[in-house]
Amino acid sequence: MEERNDIVNEPSAHPKVLVIGGGVGGIRAALDLAESRRNVVLIDKAYAIGGLMTQLDRTFPTNNCDLCTVSPDLSESGRQHRMELMPMTTLVDIQGEAGNFTVTLETAPRHIDVSKCTACGECVAKYPDWVRFTPGLDPRAPTCMRYPQATPFAFSVDMEKVEDIKALQAVCRAEAILSDDQPKTATVNIASVVLSVGAELFDPAVLDHFGGGQLANVVTGLQYERIMSASGPTAGELVRPSDGVRPKKVAWIQCVGSRGINRADVPYCSSVCCMYALKEAIVTKERFASDIEATIFYMDMRTCGKDYELYLNRAKNDYGVQLIRSRPHSIIEDPQTGNLSITYTTDEESRHLTEVFDMVVLSTGFRVQESTVELARRLGIELNIHLFAKTEAFSPVSTSKPGIYVCGVFESPKDIPETMVQASAAACMAGADLHMDLSDPQAEDDFPPERDVSGEPPKIGVFVCDCGFDIGGVIPVNEVVASVAKLSDVVVAESVGYGCSGDSMLRIEQMIREHGLNRVVIGGCSPRTHETRFQDLLRRVGLNKYLVDIVNLRDQDTWAHMDRPADAAKKAEKLLRMGITGVRKSRPLVDHTLPVNQNILVIGGGVTGMNAALQMAELGFKVYLIDRAPDLGGLARSVRSTIEGGDVSAYIADLVQKVRANDKIQVMTRTIIVDHSGMPGLFTTGVQSGPRMNYMQIQHGAAILATGAMPNRPKEYLLGENDGVMTQLDLDSVIADMPDQAKGWNQVVMIQCVGSREPGNPNCSRICCATAIKNALRLKALNADTQIYVLYRDMRTYGFSEDYYAEARQAGVKFIRYQLDDKPVVAETDGQLTVTALDPVLGRRIEIAADRVVLSTGLRADDETTEDLAMLFHVARTDDGYFLEDHVKLRPVDMALKGFFIAGTAHSPKNIKESITQALAAAGRAQALLAKTTINLGASIAKVDGNRCAACLVCVRACPFGVPFINADGYSEIDPAKCHGCGVCAADCPAKAIQLMTFEDDQILAKLDGLFERLN
Amino acid sequence: MENFEPEIVAFCCHYCAYTAADMAGSKRLSYPPNVKIIRVPCTGKVDAIHIMKALLKGADGVYVAGCLEGDCHFKNGNIRAAHRVAYVQKMLNDIGWDGERVEMITMSAGMGERFAQTAKEFTEKIRQLGPSPAKTAAGQAAVG
Amino acid sequence: MITAEQKPMQEIINCIAPYDRILLVGCNECVTVCSAGGRKEVGLLASALQLHFLKQGKTLDIKEVTLERQCDPEYVEELVNYMDQVDAVVSMACGCGVQTIAARYREKAVYPAVNTKFMGASERQGIWAERCQGCGDCVLGLTGGICPIARCSKRLMNGPCGGSTKGKCEISPDVDCAWQLIWDRMKALGIEKRYEEVMEAKDWRTSRDGGPRKIVREDLAS
Repeated sequence: MEERNDIVNEPSAHPKVLVIGGGVGGIRAALDLAESRRNVVLIDKAYAIGGLMTQLDRTFPTNNCDLCTVSPDLSESGRQHRMELMPMTTLVDIQGEAGNFTVTLETAPRHIDVSKCTACGECVAKYPDWVRFTPGLDPRAPTCMRYPQATPFAFSVDMEKVEDIKALQAVCRAEAILSDDQPKTATVNIASVVLSVGAELFDPAVLDHFGGGQLANVVTGLQYERIMSASGPTAGELVRPSDGVRPKKVAWIQCVGSRGINRADVPYCSSVCCMYALKEAIVTKERFASDIEATIFYMDMRTCGKDYELYLNRAKNDYGVQLIRSRPHSIIEDPQTGNLSITYTTDEESRHLTEVFDMVVLSTGFRVQESTVELARRLGIELNIHLFAKTEAFSPVSTSKPGIYVCGVFESPKDIPETMVQASAAACMAGADLHMDLSDPQAEDDFPPERDVSGEPPKIGVFVCDCGFDIGGVIPVNEVVASVAKLSDVVVAESVGYGCSGDSMLRIEQMIREHGLNRVVIGGCSPRTHETRFQDLLRRVGLNKYLVDIVNLRDQDTWAHMDRPADAAKKAEKLLRMGITGVRKSRPLVDHTLPVNQNILVIGGGVTGMNAALQMAELGFKVYLIDRAPDLGGLARSVRSTIEGGDVSAYIADLVQKVRANDKIQVMTRTIIVDHSGMPGLFTTGVQSGPRMNYMQIQHGAAILATGAMPNRPKEYLLGENDGVMTQLDLDSVIADMPDQAKGWNQVVMIQCVGSREPGNPNCSRICCATAIKNALRLKALNADTQIYVLYRDMRTYGFSEDYYAEARQAGVKFIRYQLDDKPVVAETDGQLTVTALDPVLGRRIEIAADRVVLSTGLRADDETTEDLAMLFHVARTDDGYFLEDHVKLRPVDMALKGFFIAGTAHSPKNIKESITQALAAAGRAQALLAKTTINLGASIAKVDGNRCAACLVCVRACPFGVPFINADGYSEIDPAKCHGCGVCAADCPAKAIQLMTFEDDQILAKLDGLFERLN
Repeated sequence: MENFEPEIVAFCCHYCAYTAADMAGSKRLSYPPNVKIIRVPCTGKVDAIHIMKALLKGADGVYVAGCLEGDCHFKNGNIRAAHRVAYVQKMLNDIGWDGERVEMITMSAGMGERFAQTAKEFTEKIRQLGPSPAKTAAGQAAVG
Repeated sequence: MITAEQKPMQEIINCIAPYDRILLVGCNECVTVCSAGGRKEVGLLASALQLHFLKQGKTLDIKEVTLERQCDPEYVEELVNYMDQVDAVVSMACGCGVQTIAARYREKAVYPAVNTKFMGASERQGIWAERCQGCGDCVLGLTGGICPIARCSKRLMNGPCGGSTKGKCEISPDVDCAWQLIWDRMKALGIEKRYEEVMEAKDWRTSRDGGPRKIVREDLAS
């Protein structure tokens, strides 16, 4: 990791991109930029990067431990050559313009020489008050780092608290403590800025209700995360702050400080609290005790992200989380017991209800920090009324100042996946301000030469993670380690805490050197996520990266068998034995590389596809933009206006014109995909195009799937039978094209969630609530006397669209809630449409005569298209037919198939602004891949032993890709550049002359030996 | 045999079943710990010998879990695997074993539930079939 | 190539039941190519047999060896070091291989694990068809490259029998009538006149009727 404390005023000849804020968004942006070969400076005012996410216990919807998910990314950022990491640094000044800014950065003194600090912890053990560490409930954590995987991996001295610097220096054996460290200033020449400064969480201490921060057992959502977290103040024990006893009843109160009009409230929705409350409730029951009662008091359940509705259903149905629609007024503490009583009402009950809880969690939302407002002023960017960075619907990550881009919560309240998408989008835009020569070959990774281990007997090191509670909380890691330590060839066996943390990795490296290890087994999480990281570890110590085996103890053992810890422990031992016997047979291998084809195929010519195409073209890549429709524009052509009032038609027309005019974009409409082959970086896709369906092949290195979704039109509520019943999309055009007709309507009823959030299509369509509000407001603007009724289940106007919800209520739009088991009834009698529904406030059924009934039908996946493409490209889909990203949290635009990216509504329902953001993000991720001049094919290729080969042709005939051939020497030959690595030939070869490297037969059999050792 | 806990080897394709198993874990879907996974790049890589050797070394049951038909990352590796599994089943029947001890299962990467469900079903099936004849006979021989 | 297919499992089992230690020998030539007795089949059969006997409570010791070619004494010589460790030998090669081993290691019983079928050609992956019966007097030059001996069910030498229907042999609609094929081929080559020529009675002495055959190349054998 690079860290510079000594930057002097030296404007660089090679401009960089400045990323401000080292949370997940900033890290993603910086990594994307570095990956696409731009130099980056990442600054953060904290002394380690990681931001808010590193304080969370787990994240929805996978309930992963965040540290485990984010830490590989963090240390990846420590390793990137093009990245300069400057913690404890703030921006003082900025001059110049996009492409050529000069920024002045000030780095606060750390008082510790990071190059010397070994993070031994002596200083904090002796003088805990003087050294900085975990913020939150109780900072007395066993280490002084904010979290065990901190980057940079070092301490920081709080000089204001230090009473005797000599005494502190005396405890430091590394002599790393600097008494006279001074602030340093640097001037850096940069091309663009990515702002990812996040926001802070609302502090309920300013409230005069809910205890105002005074009640011991009332905590905020973040504090609750810290209590549950293995690296938190209670070391992962769920206990009440007042008495250290595990709570039996926990309540969450939503929207604390958000969606309010009272003092200290903000009007907007913080977008993440519903999901995090559900997550905390589920994790509470799942990890601590299923009989802990979890109750969530909420206003609207806003689970409108991809598959989030399923998460809500799981919380309700599988975990028995109680959901009560009510906003309690206050919390009363029993001073004797510390218990908390909450009085509330529900629709069903006319009386007040009082319930006692052991703990109450306040779901607090986001606030822009004052320091951020100050930073915005210094940068000269405009803020919106809520003090968030101002962006426009059609340029979602651009601030008011060219060259400065924004992502994450500072743009608007959002969760991690959306932040990741925006970060990639902002990085893409910022990278475009920094010209790059695409043909310039990249620098090689700087690893020491590999040690030749061929003559050595196996010397195996076994390192087992406890992964906080995820492994260590289920099985006794030390016992498991001891059980495999005596196996033959095992030289070292240790438990290593968080194996992927900086200190554990250093420890493993040290062990490898000390004992001359030549094979390593890591017992931890899935190799799918962490293999590369440990392979890099081996490379750093001069070992071939294929000499490590990752044993999946977490995902495939402790997580799945947490209900049977003894069996999980037995299984862990067996899995480790398999790893050990397997790694014994592993061989050093060389990866194969090939030049990358730098063209990109964009499938889908809607708003998303066109934006992705334009951005890629802007970056200098040749783009093939194909759509099966005769024209570009997609679904957005039938949308006229955004909720903010933006003219969608004009925007689309302009976009189409720009795309058509761009000579780097080849537009192919009326085009369908018929075949596909190749590998990441070198794909060939066959298409048929035009009225004659001419066939042609497109060579491309990557592809963006932007095929969109379909407007839903369920046969419900007389849609399609009565002309007075229409969808929101229909209404949009009526308002735009026939305003006089719309003006004449007296009563309009809108019904939400039509065809969504119900069996058959259980997910939320996300866009309909805001769309209904948008159209209601437009109708009101046409005729203020039109009575509008919106029949809804939960109003999901997340983020700033809450403003429009408030505006609609003020404008007199009536909102009536209905339940799924008591849906409204639309009927027609004598030409008059009526809607009957139960009004929960009045407690009786009401009948509304309607001029028009407008159905919010939302979107559904274009099932046929995604199914066809999924078959052709071999990419995955969700149960409801959307494309499935590689990691729902951290890789929301990458697909599992390298080289494929998703954007727009083909991923999940989203509005135009979100679609454009994801388009830019996909372009950014794609260019990060294509900016590399070569692609690594790995070492997993089939290899023929010519001496054994009988030239029988079985492999030649069996290979799905026609790669093997019988060479002039009379035996089969397989070109490593063409081999896809499936291993079919190796399995079918009757002479057993073919081995698939990394999955060799002897290794597979050795694993079986390890598993069944007791029988042998 | 009471308390019989079958030992089961699952050869899982990296692109589908292995990922589905991870997903089952991340969703905390419980399935029998009897199942031990060996990761392969494609079920087309699973040699009939691997299955036979697994039984020989002591597995009570072996299954090969690949992609859904038409979803193979390598076109048809899963179909080949299914044929091989059928071949092994026949061979097992021929030698007086129960071909049911070996099975081909398909799923997609997103099917964590299916992974857990099939792991349960297969384990239950093997539990019904009882311990591997290799073990019982060896045990009797040792005792006798 | 010589084609073969594995014997029914029970037959193999019966052969080796009396023994505890078996040497299972494959061949890397024809039987590898026709997937009957190469290294892979050796491995499969070995594990199948072991599984079978494990169920009977017997741990069968099987050594697996695959020779480059089992019908050459020099290769077969490679087995010499195994012989004192085994009770019997099972060969997965064609009959030639089995006999070469039997000839060299007279003290050990040798059992075939495959049935040698015919000299055939590969139609496609997994399918082999008979093409030659080694009659010792090749007539392919007269029959358009299609052998009436190997491919006519009756080995007729002068045209089809009355059972030829729509180009198929009367024994099965899946079997082509060889003489139909010969006729079609001759027509395609423009030599159908030759069909009129009567072939004389075939001299089967060059075939098996003359007793076991041998080829001697004086120049090489000397």
